[in-house]
Amino acid sequence: MNARVVLTLVALLSAGPAWAQSKGQLRIPEFSTLAEKASETVNVTLDGNILGMGCRFLNSANPEEAKAKKLCTSLTGIYVRHYSFDTDYAYPKSDIDGVKRQLNAPGWSPIVEARSRKENTNVNVFVLIQGDKAQGLAIIASEPREFTIVNIVGNIDLEQLHDLEGSLGVPELGIETGKKPAPAKPPAPVKAPAPEKTK
Amino acid sequence: MNENFEDELRRRLRAVDAPGGFTERLMAALPVEKNPTVVAFIPKAARPARQFGVPAALAASLLGAVLFGMHVANDRSLREEQEGIAASQQLMQALRVTSQKLDLAYEAVNNPPTAGDEENRS
Repeated sequence: MNARVVLTLVALLSAGPAWAQSKGQLRIPEFSTLAEKASETVNVTLDGNILGMGCRFLNSANPEEAKAKKLCTSLTGIYVRHYSFDTDYAYPKSDIDGVKRQLNAPGWSPIVEARSRKENTNVNVFVLIQGDKAQGLAIIASEPREFTIVNIVGNIDLEQLHDLEGSLGVPELGIETGKKPAPAKPPAPVKAPAPEKTK
Repeated sequence: MNENFEDELRRRLRAVDAPGGFTERLMAALPVEKNPTVVAFIPKAARPARQFGVPAALAASLLGAVLFGMHVANDRSLREEQEGIAASQQLMQALRVTSQKLDLAYEAVNNPPTAGDEENRS
């Protein structure tokens, strides 16, 4: 009897973090051991009040920051993990695969899948569509010496994302911003090999 | 007549010794000596200090509380500003990383694959 109670409690406690997560938010591992090995690390976790505070403190007089400010007001979370290494494949691929598996959940759709065997580069872009709106964006990019996971949560206004194109280094992605509502299911992902890096 | 009168006056006014026991009787007739009454005297200069002591202490406490509150509010505002600036810098950094990876995806989508790459297509 006691064992049952304990098991139930353990089950409830382990399910707790899943309840706490908002839709569109991925469970990204801490990668704490990787940070020691990495030559360059970007670890950004902005959610709730901190994100709102960051938004408020963006300088509207700066064109780039003004556009970012417009975009981020409707977001609820931005999570970025980026690690660069001095040697090839110093990171465990299993961690990345674990994040990718979460994107098999209903609602998530791949919009770009780019893979280059020559450069061993993979870039996957996913969006979470709920109703007629994009509620989440995930980018998983892996290269021999670096990998990046980006997770943006919230009402992603494609029109505002379109506004950001051309600044901040965001390329002209040709995002459709027509008046008609976005389809519930996005079109099939574009599969293409990643080209040679120009950087 | 006149001489007799003068003599008589001198005789009557001559110094006479007090009768025996006069001093004791006189002292006994005096009222019993009482302890002197002590009257507290409050100097006028000391009164205002006592009179305004409590209000002054209250005012000082109030002023102290207001100053402390202002200091705490200032401190909090400064901390919030620092956190906000740090958060905005993180936000811009996150957007830059995002844009770099979108750029990679863009190049993959828009640059047609070459014959060599075709072999590598997954």
